[in-house]
Amino acid sequence: MTRWFEDIIIDEVFVLGSHTFDADEIVRFATLYDPQYFHLDAEAAKHSHFGGLVASGWHTVSVGHRLMVDTLFAEEERLRAMGLEPGVSGPSPGVNSMDFKVPVRPGDTVSYELVVTDKRPSNSIPGWGLLFNKLTALNQHGELVYRANLVGFSKLRDYQMPLKLKIMLALSNLPVLGPLLKRRA
Amino acid sequence: MTNPVTKDRRHFEDLAIGEVIDLGRITVSKAMITTFATEFDPFPFHLDETAAKASLLGGLAASGWQTGGLGLRMLVDSFLSTIASAGGLGFSDLKWKNPVMVNDTIGGTVTIVDLRRSGSHPQWGIVTLEFDMRNQKGASVLSMRLANLVDTRTPGAGT
Repeated sequence: MTRWFEDIIIDEVFVLGSHTFDADEIVRFATLYDPQYFHLDAEAAKHSHFGGLVASGWHTVSVGHRLMVDTLFAEEERLRAMGLEPGVSGPSPGVNSMDFKVPVRPGDTVSYELVVTDKRPSNSIPGWGLLFNKLTALNQHGELVYRANLVGFSKLRDYQMPLKLKIMLALSNLPVLGPLLKRRA
Repeated sequence: MTNPVTKDRRHFEDLAIGEVIDLGRITVSKAMITTFATEFDPFPFHLDETAAKASLLGGLAASGWQTGGLGLRMLVDSFLSTIASAGGLGFSDLKWKNPVMVNDTIGGTVTIVDLRRSGSHPQWGIVTLEFDMRNQKGASVLSMRLANLVDTRTPGAGT
């Protein structure tokens, strides 16, 4: 979350919020990213095993991501209001697993929750740590819509760059030596 | 019980392991990136060039969820809309190795790596698809394994 890597507590639960999906947005998303007939056409969708229009799984996941980003921003505001300097969230290197269970229909409200289950410093990017997050999405009946194991980057507060790396970085910014060093790396 | 939408499409029995699907190519504009990011991923490194330059991404880059969404779109156009698809089950091992920057052209292939009948639902088979998406320099921008349900023509007939 928007805390320094060192301040992230394992197993702390973050309630990300909820979203009600309407038919228009389901069709709008599907038109751009997942134009299969059961995400696009309520009449044709009746012939599918869903029996009607359902949201693309990619759509429900994208909304969950938005709510996570909003939660990070709110946390950042809260830390600033307390006079603290917030940490830095980076992009994500990937997703270990994503399982779609119950489909989302127009009018369904999906609630999202995130737990950081583990963390470790990154081996490949100095000064950053990896967070292992479990995201759970439930509908208004408490049924599991999807669960995901996500990976995120978070910056280390107490990182001291080793002298060797500092020298390498300084050299890599020189006009002639830089490209050579980068090619070797 | 024949589905009039999918009856003339390929079914589970018509698919083969090793089949390679060409996704085609798409160029990702700045407007596409910021439109998606505004709605689903409003981190500054997907919206603002100055903030993006200072970030791990090194410049304005598409949300990874948009890269995946575009890959999915290309898979629907080239494959999923031509088979009796019954929806996605999920995916695993998704890796965003390199960001998609403004005006990058991305594309790639998807390979059928596994086909098996559902144990609990004889009307379905499960096709496992391996994504290999790259930019114009040949660098990987997304890889993942997607599991998708496909209707069988003959339920419970074995593989």
